[in-house]
Amino acid sequence: MSLCNLTRKDRDASPKGMARIGRKLLFAAALAMLAGCVQVAAPERPIEINLNINIRQEVVVRLQEDARELIQNNPGVF
Amino acid sequence: MNRRKTLMIAAGLGIAALASSAAYAYVQGDAAGQLRASGVVGEQADGYLGLVGSASAAIRAQMDSVNIQRRAAYTQLATQRGATIEEVAAATACQIFASRIGPGQYYRLPDGVWRQRNGNEPVPRPSHCG
Repeated sequence: MSLCNLTRKDRDASPKGMARIGRKLLFAAALAMLAGCVQVAAPERPIEINLNINIRQEVVVRLQEDARELIQNNPGVF
Repeated sequence: MNRRKTLMIAAGLGIAALASSAAYAYVQGDAAGQLRASGVVGEQADGYLGLVGSASAAIRAQMDSVNIQRRAAYTQLATQRGATIEEVAAATACQIFASRIGPGQYYRLPDGVWRQRNGNEPVPRPSHCG
């Protein structure tokens, strides 16, 4: 099923023919997407999800000086 | 002349007394420190205080109040630095663990276990501190 099987009827410049071509194009696009989905390979190792740490360590390290000031500026809270 | 000196010394003593009472009030205002010292509240690796065991409603209310203030401070800094609240809180926890937990006070690492600081032994830092 592709654009190659367009019949003479399909090639009519009439609105009806255009609609038929449109439908075939949509169908072809859907087929292409399906084919794409099949090609997606699963990662070799499962993705690890650690519930404890959804933080970026480099950000935490970068924030150390700010954190120190935060503690000093909020006596009683820390 | 002598009387004047005496007056000045008295005034100085008065000022010193005022200052020390202010310092005392300052210590009284250390809600987080008092909660840690109570032994029923400890510091967590997520940057907030947590209950070590059971506690009175009054203690829980104080702890919640401090945690709300912490969250507000974390939120403000997170906005300024383009980080998440959790990241700022975790970064602050690193500093709290390094300097705020006194001997005999409690802390909780991501493993969820409450531990007591043994004397002056250093408190282990959460792994996210780098």
